[in-house]
Amino acid sequence: MLANLVQFYLARFRINLAVQFQYRVAMGIWMLGLILEPLVYLCVWTSVAKTQGGTVGGFGPGDFAAYYLIMLLVHHACLIWHMFEYDFIIRQGILSNRLLRPIHPIHGDISENITYKVFMLVILLPAFGLLWYLFKPEFHTTVGAVALFPFALLMAGALAFFAGWALAMAAFWTNRTAAVNQAWFVAMFFFSGQAAPLSLLPPWMQDVAFYLPFRWMYSFPIELCLGRLDTRKILHGFGTQALWILGFLIIMNFAWRSGIKRYSASGG
Amino acid sequence: MFRHLSLALHYFRLGLATEMEYRMNFFIQLITACINLAVSLGGLEIIFSHTQTLNGWTHTELLALIGVYFLMSALIHTIIQPSLQKFMEDVRGGTLDFLLLKPVEPQWLVSVRQVQVMQLANVLLGAVVITVALMRMGTAITIAHTAAFLLALTLGLIIVYCFWLMLATLVFWFLKIDNILVIFESLYEAGRWPVGIYPAWLKFILTFVVPVAFVVTVPAEALAGRLSPQTLGIGVLLAVAMLVLSRWFWRRGLRRYEGASA
Amino acid sequence: MDSPVVCVEKLSKTYLTPVRPEGLQAAFKSLFNRTTKAVKAVESIGFEIAAGEIVGFLGPNGAGKTTTLKMLSGLLHPTGGMARVLGHDAKRREHAFLRQITLVMGQRNQLVWDIPASDSFALNKKIYNVPDAQFKETLAELTELLELAPLVSKPVRNLSLGERMKCEVAGALLHRPKVLFLDEPTLGLDVTAQRRIREFIKTYNARHNSTVLLTSHYMADVEALAKRVLVIHHGKLLFDGPLADLVTRFSPHKTIILDFEPCERDPANYGTVVKTEAPGRVTLSVPKDQTAAITARLLQDFTVKDLTVEDPSIEEVIEMVFADGTRQETATPSA
Repeated sequence: MLANLVQFYLARFRINLAVQFQYRVAMGIWMLGLILEPLVYLCVWTSVAKTQGGTVGGFGPGDFAAYYLIMLLVHHACLIWHMFEYDFIIRQGILSNRLLRPIHPIHGDISENITYKVFMLVILLPAFGLLWYLFKPEFHTTVGAVALFPFALLMAGALAFFAGWALAMAAFWTNRTAAVNQAWFVAMFFFSGQAAPLSLLPPWMQDVAFYLPFRWMYSFPIELCLGRLDTRKILHGFGTQALWILGFLIIMNFAWRSGIKRYSASGG
Repeated sequence: MFRHLSLALHYFRLGLATEMEYRMNFFIQLITACINLAVSLGGLEIIFSHTQTLNGWTHTELLALIGVYFLMSALIHTIIQPSLQKFMEDVRGGTLDFLLLKPVEPQWLVSVRQVQVMQLANVLLGAVVITVALMRMGTAITIAHTAAFLLALTLGLIIVYCFWLMLATLVFWFLKIDNILVIFESLYEAGRWPVGIYPAWLKFILTFVVPVAFVVTVPAEALAGRLSPQTLGIGVLLAVAMLVLSRWFWRRGLRRYEGASA
Repeated sequence: MDSPVVCVEKLSKTYLTPVRPEGLQAAFKSLFNRTTKAVKAVESIGFEIAAGEIVGFLGPNGAGKTTTLKMLSGLLHPTGGMARVLGHDAKRREHAFLRQITLVMGQRNQLVWDIPASDSFALNKKIYNVPDAQFKETLAELTELLELAPLVSKPVRNLSLGERMKCEVAGALLHRPKVLFLDEPTLGLDVTAQRRIREFIKTYNARHNSTVLLTSHYMADVEALAKRVLVIHHGKLLFDGPLADLVTRFSPHKTIILDFEPCERDPANYGTVVKTEAPGRVTLSVPKDQTAAITARLLQDFTVKDLTVEDPSIEEVIEMVFADGTRQETATPSA
C-alpha cells in the first residue's frame, strides 16, 4: 500500500514537472507577484522606522529586512491554491474522473503542490540571494534556531496545506467560494504576520492571532529562525503546529466525507 | 472621430447588457471591493499606530493615495484589461481576422471592445475615498489644484494604456504568453504606497519599466498638493513617448501578423 | 462585358519558417545561425471571377486555399503578384473595400457570446454604418430566408451549432456585401444544417448577384453550389473550370460493377480490376470511350446477373488528382 503510494508520487512528480515546465513563463510571472508582496511591506516598515529615528517596536531596517526575507521562504513553503480550483473541479465534473481512480484525490494535489514548490526554487533561491544583497538583513540568531527552522517550515507547509484543503471543501456546499477564500486570505494577511510583525499589531489583534492557525504558519517559523524565541516558546510552537495539523486533518476528513456524500447524491 | 466615440459608447452599452445577464455579480463585486478597501484601510491604521507620517505623507494624504489606487485599478479593469485580454484570445483562437475585416481602425476596436461595467462600482468607491480624503484635508480646492489632478490622472491612464497595449502586442510574436498582462497586476500592488518608500532601483522600475508611479503616486501627489512641475513635465514626455512607441509597436506587430514584412 | 469582380495575377505567398533543429548539437548551433526554410504556400496563381459567380476552391488541408482567400480579403500580404477585388488592391485594406466584403469562417464566431444575436446585429449595423431603412429591409429578408425569428432573442451561447451558424451568416450579410468569402462554412454541422446553409447561399446569390468564393472539403458543398471550381494543391492552381470538366479531364474512365456466375474467364482481361468483393462480384475500371464495347462483350462472355455502369465519384477523382501531386498542366479558364 505504501509502496504503491510512493510509486504514485514519483510518477506524478515527473508529469507535474513536465506540465509546469510548459507553463514556466506564466509561473515565473506569478512568482514575481509573490516575491513582491513581502518586499512592499519591508519597505513600508523600513520607512516607518526611519521616520521614528531608526527603530519601531524593536525592529530596525536590518531587522525588518531579515523578517521579510525569511517571510519569502515561509510564504513559498505555505503556498496553496487548491481552494480556488475546487469549485471548478466539482462543477465541471472533473472530480468524477478523479474519484474513479484507486487513489484519494488529495494525493494528486499534494504532489502537484510539492512539485511546484521544488520547481520554483529555481527562481526563489536566486531571488532570495539577490534581495539579501540589496536589503542587507541583520541576523541575531543561533545555529540551533536556524537548524530547527527547516522543521518548523515543513510543519508550517503541512499545516497550510491541510488548512487550505479543508477550506477547498467549502465548494461542496457553496459556489461563492471566491467570498469564502477572500475572507480566509484577508484574515491570514493580518493575523499571520504578513501585514506587520505580530508584535507591532495592537494588543487585541495579537490576542486574536494567538488563537488562529495563521501565526503558526508564518510568524512562528520566522521568529524561530530570527532567534527571537526561547526554548519554552519553541516547544510550545511546535506543539501548537502539531495540534493544528491534527485538527485540520480531522476537519478535512469530515468535510470530504460529507461533501462526497452530497456530491454523489446529486448525481456527481 | 465622432464615429469612433459613438462606437465606443455602443460597446459600453453592450457590456452593460452582457452583465445584466449576470445580475448578482454587481453586488458581489461591490462587496469584494469594499473588503479590499477595508484591508487597505486596516493596514494604514496599523502603520499609523506607530508613526505620524510615512515618507512625508500624512494619514489623510495616504487615504487619498488609496483612493487613487482603487480608482485607477477600476478604470483599467473596466475597459483596458478586458479588451486587451480578449484581443490576445482572438489572436490565439484565429478570430482576429473578423476584427481586421471591419472598416474601422483595428487598434481602436481592439482597445474598446470589451467593457466590464461592474468595475464602475470600484470607480465609485475610489471616488468616494478621494472625496473623503479631500474633505479631511480641508485645503481650499483651487482650479490649479483640480487641473493638476485631472491632468495627472489623464497622463496616468494614457501611460498605463500604452503599457498594456505593448504587453498585449507581444502576442503577435509569442503566442503562448498566457498571463503576461499579470505582470502589471503583480507590480501594481506596490502602488498602494507612495513610490518614495522604495529603494532607488525599485523606484526606477516602478516608474519607467512598469509605470505604476505615474498611475497612482503622481495623481495622489497632485491631490496632496505636492506635485512638482518637473514630475508633471516628465509625465507629459513619458506619455507622448509611449503613445508613439506603442503605436509603432502595434503596427509592427500587425504587419507581422499579416505577413507583410520579414 | 463588365470588368471582373476578382482579378488575380501571379499571386504568391512564401513563408519563411525557422528550421527547428533535431538533437542537441544542432540546437546549439542554431543559437548562432538561425536558418530559415522558405515554404511556398501559394505559387503564382491567376484567375478572374465575374460578378454573381459562385466559385469553389477545392484542395486538401494545407493546399493553400485558405491562404488564397485571406490574400483576396486583405488579411494577408502576398509575397508576389496582385489581387484586385472590386477594383481595390486587397492588401491595402481601404475602408471602402472592407465595406463591400464579408468573411464567414466555419466553427469560428464573431457574434458576441453572452447576448442575443440581434444585439450583435445592431453592433454590425453601427460598425458598417448601415442606414436604418436598409438595415430593416436586409434583416427582414435574412430572417425569412434563414428562419431566424425564434433564434435572435436568445443568447448566442444557448443556440445549437447549426443555429449559431445561421446567425453568423446573417450577421455577416447585414451590410449587403458584394463579395462573400466563405471559409469552410459548413464545417462541423449536421447534414440538415449543412443543407440549409447551402440552400440559403444559392438563393441569396440568385437574388443579389453577389460573388461567392467558397472553400470546403465537403464535396456536397461544392457540387451543390459551385458551377466553377479552382483546384489548388501544393500552392499551385491545378484546374479552373466547371466541375463536370474536372471529372472528364482527370478521369476519363467509367466504373463497371459486375455480378456474374463464376467461370473460367477472367474479368481482368476486359478492364482494370479495382475491387473483387467475392468470386462473383468485381468492380472494373474501363476507358470511357470503350464502355459500350466492353459492356457488350461482358454481357456476351459471362452469365451476368447484374451490371452497373457508373461515373467515378467526384471524391475518387479528386483523390486521384491530388495523388498525382505535381501535375504541370493547369486548365485554361472556361469562357
